[in-house]
Amino acid sequence: MARDPKYDILFEPIQLGPKTLKNRFYQVPHCIGAGSEKPGMQAYHRGIKAEGGWGACCTEYCSIHPESDDTSRVSARIWDEGDVRNLKAMTDRLHHFGALAGIELWYGGPHAPCMESRATPRGPSQIPSDFELNIHPRYMDKDDINEVQQMYVDAAIRARDAGFDIVYVYGAHAYLPFQFLSPFYNRRTDEYGGSFENRARFWKESLEKVREAVGDDCAIASRFAVDHLLGATSIQVDEDGVRFVEHVDHLVDLWDLTVGDIAEWGQNAGPSRFFEENHEKPFTGQVKAGNHTNKPVVGVGRVTNPDTMVAIIQSGQFDIIGAARPSISDPFLPKKIEEGRPDDIRECIGCNQCISRWEIGGPPMVCTQNATAGEEYRRGWPPEKFSKAGNADKGVLVVGAGPAGMECAMVLGKRQMSAVHLVEADSEIGGCVNWISKLGHSDGKENLFRGTARGLGEWSRIVNYRQVQLDKLKNVEVHLNSRLSAQDVLEYGAEIVVIATGCHFATDGLNPATHTPIPGADTSLDWQLTPDEVVAGNKPIGQRVLVLENEAYFMGASIAQKLAGEGKDVTLVTQAADVADYMHYTLEAPMLHRDLHRLGVDIRTYTMVDSIEPGACTLYNVWDDRHKDKVEVDTVVLCTQRLSNDELYRELKSDPAALQREGIEAVYIIGDASAPRMIVDSVFDGHRLAREIDSDNPAMPLPFIRERRLWGDTGNGDFESQLLAPSDMVAAG
Amino acid sequence: MRIVVPVKQVAVVDEDFELVDGGSAVDPDFLEWSLNEWDEFSVEAALQMGDEVIVVTVGEEEATEGLLACLAKGADRALRIWDPALEGADALAVARVLAAAVGRESPDLVLCGVQSSDAVNSATGIGLAAHLDLPHLAVARAISADGDSLTVERELEGGLIEVVRVGLPALLTVQTGINEPRYANLRAIKQAREKPLEVLDLAGLGLSESDVDAARGSRLRKLAVPEAGEGAEMLQGSPAEVATRIREIVAERLSA
Repeated sequence: MARDPKYDILFEPIQLGPKTLKNRFYQVPHCIGAGSEKPGMQAYHRGIKAEGGWGACCTEYCSIHPESDDTSRVSARIWDEGDVRNLKAMTDRLHHFGALAGIELWYGGPHAPCMESRATPRGPSQIPSDFELNIHPRYMDKDDINEVQQMYVDAAIRARDAGFDIVYVYGAHAYLPFQFLSPFYNRRTDEYGGSFENRARFWKESLEKVREAVGDDCAIASRFAVDHLLGATSIQVDEDGVRFVEHVDHLVDLWDLTVGDIAEWGQNAGPSRFFEENHEKPFTGQVKAGNHTNKPVVGVGRVTNPDTMVAIIQSGQFDIIGAARPSISDPFLPKKIEEGRPDDIRECIGCNQCISRWEIGGPPMVCTQNATAGEEYRRGWPPEKFSKAGNADKGVLVVGAGPAGMECAMVLGKRQMSAVHLVEADSEIGGCVNWISKLGHSDGKENLFRGTARGLGEWSRIVNYRQVQLDKLKNVEVHLNSRLSAQDVLEYGAEIVVIATGCHFATDGLNPATHTPIPGADTSLDWQLTPDEVVAGNKPIGQRVLVLENEAYFMGASIAQKLAGEGKDVTLVTQAADVADYMHYTLEAPMLHRDLHRLGVDIRTYTMVDSIEPGACTLYNVWDDRHKDKVEVDTVVLCTQRLSNDELYRELKSDPAALQREGIEAVYIIGDASAPRMIVDSVFDGHRLAREIDSDNPAMPLPFIRERRLWGDTGNGDFESQLLAPSDMVAAG
Repeated sequence: MRIVVPVKQVAVVDEDFELVDGGSAVDPDFLEWSLNEWDEFSVEAALQMGDEVIVVTVGEEEATEGLLACLAKGADRALRIWDPALEGADALAVARVLAAAVGRESPDLVLCGVQSSDAVNSATGIGLAAHLDLPHLAVARAISADGDSLTVERELEGGLIEVVRVGLPALLTVQTGINEPRYANLRAIKQAREKPLEVLDLAGLGLSESDVDAARGSRLRKLAVPEAGEGAEMLQGSPAEVATRIREIVAERLSA
């Protein structure tokens, strides 16, 4: 089908200095865990997006010199000819699909701890990083300034040689150029500090020098946080923000606008829990609205809806639709609009699992919605292509339509299995997503920052996308309200059975801290609840509530937030150093803590529940169990650990003769039923099994390509003059 | 109880489609086929009540799939009737053909869907009852068997329910929601292919083309897509701005 003419504007070309962007879809720089040292992952992840229609794709932040070394977080690097060679794999792949390649040249100053290079970062003033622990920069004198600017120039020349079309001088997220511009970092009294012109001088000179070096060949871009969101202590959009754009507008071919800094960059990469689509508009929107630039402007806002994209362009907010997370969730987003099938777009849910892996430092990126993200090269999984399974004649029964079961059935359907039945006990598909997506709200009142706790409603996109796809697959049947016994499964007539029956919360306080139940814990009592029971609302909740949070992700804190929002007096207890520790990685923690604080939640860290009795809990400090404290409560919520619903699987496995008699060749178990995990990993598990359903042993994942140096080998096993990838990854035509 | 269930494989039209021959039909490239939604419920009702269930349809090869689905759920036999002379047959002509097929079976009960989702005539079932000279009740929302009679709740307008007792044999048209249709597991789907599925043409039922023509009540002249209106104007802004704009538009239209 042809695209709807109302979207034509999205496919207009845009001139960026000497380069032409073929349409208005632009993957802004974002991390994936590849850098320059996993060239296959880098080339294939970006390349998939180029194949999917994005007009340009950028690297993640790319260090210009060992002095800017973010280890253990993974940046790209363009330090030497080896990096040029590795990054050229990416630019070649992008050019093959007609996309431009961008590189975000980065010098971090004190935010880069230089743990691999052991170099000393330099900065405008000797103020330690507000992001990294205890890293002080060396004060830059004028020689230092010249040296660092020359690093940008040398890196830009290498970038051009690597085939990059767009070269950034990256000054967003409070990295070095912004540190000079902002009085929050810059306390200098020479010609690089004080007045606006002085503070802007470093960035302006750097742009001039980079432009002089490569400006004839490459488009020069700058990423700029137009507002630091710190008020008058730093850059504000209506003051120095637009002033800086005007000041150096003649030196750039493209503006890439953001807000905030790296210390709380969740204000830019906003999680859906707190930020709606296009939430930066009040800031970034001012630049074009006030006619402060004559250059094309790209910006982000986790925009997945093509109508919003059109509105952004027609309203004059941006010229180009920038995306990081929406491009990870659906690398083929532009192509789906172009082909007139926007209902196939796999919309980002804003969970920030992708970001969490960068924050952890080291692991490859993951995506809840797109299980193939980061797997394009090493596992050879193209997101929109599915080979016909070698055993497609088999019939498959998938029991349980939660995240793992839905994904598995969908991918098996796309792999043209003769018949796939997805059977669900509940009255709708979605499993745990159906109640989890109701969490994350508090009382709807304005937060300390801006906006409210919006909740996890967008997480239901996990279900929506799969519902649409399952409906389209003729070989997949979905049956609801049907709880299958082992006998039902045996008699079902499927050759392959996949058990995806999910998990449940421990009812007795069994937990990862003590590995034992908690004395007195028993959720069969009407004043003790598991988290799902809180959402279901079938038990009364008293005024004084204790929530025990041992999971370290969103559940316990979300329950506390919900109940405090409903006016309860909530004590939130965790054995860890912080509640919901993983939410620091997803960038949700700052806003969550603002909300919990505002709601008056009493947070007890390094604390565990010793015992529970009617009306009270006895707590102790985990470093000193003689330090006890008795808290009077009416209701206890136990978010301690989960346990697999694996009885059906165990029963089937226990009788191999019956399986053989009934013609069942294999029984697999996936997702939480196998071991409780985060939704992102359940989706992956279901996808992985379906991708490999015709391997020799589908229960065991196939090995993946490891991009490593082989000792004593002149080449690498995965590199023979060109990147090797499975044949179905290679683009047709 | 022997129950015959006439079913229909209905055409489901894509969101975008084209017509052929200036409106004689929808281009089959834009059609998909599935068992009529109402028939899922009449088949289930039959399976719950009957000792023997026979499904019958009038349709081309694509209708076999729908019959197989009914057999997989538990129907005992199936009959598909097709003849080139049935091309373009209307509901009354189909009812005449079904009457010949259903009559052969001497059923205790005939269960039809209230209507088909593609033609939406609600006429086939009642027409069939007329041809067979059976008592009939339309839009059944509950059925209970009681010796050689049935007690049937009929759904009327305004939420009213009419409770009627009818002697057997009889014909009912069944409303959606009357029951929870079962689904067939993979084994039953495979085994359905082993069940009797008879295919007959008009001659096989002792009918002639003129019998069908005589029963016909209408003839398709043309299919057409209504012309699009002027389209919608999306108003944006604060409630006050939107209200102001609405007032302006109304004023413009009134003065035009």
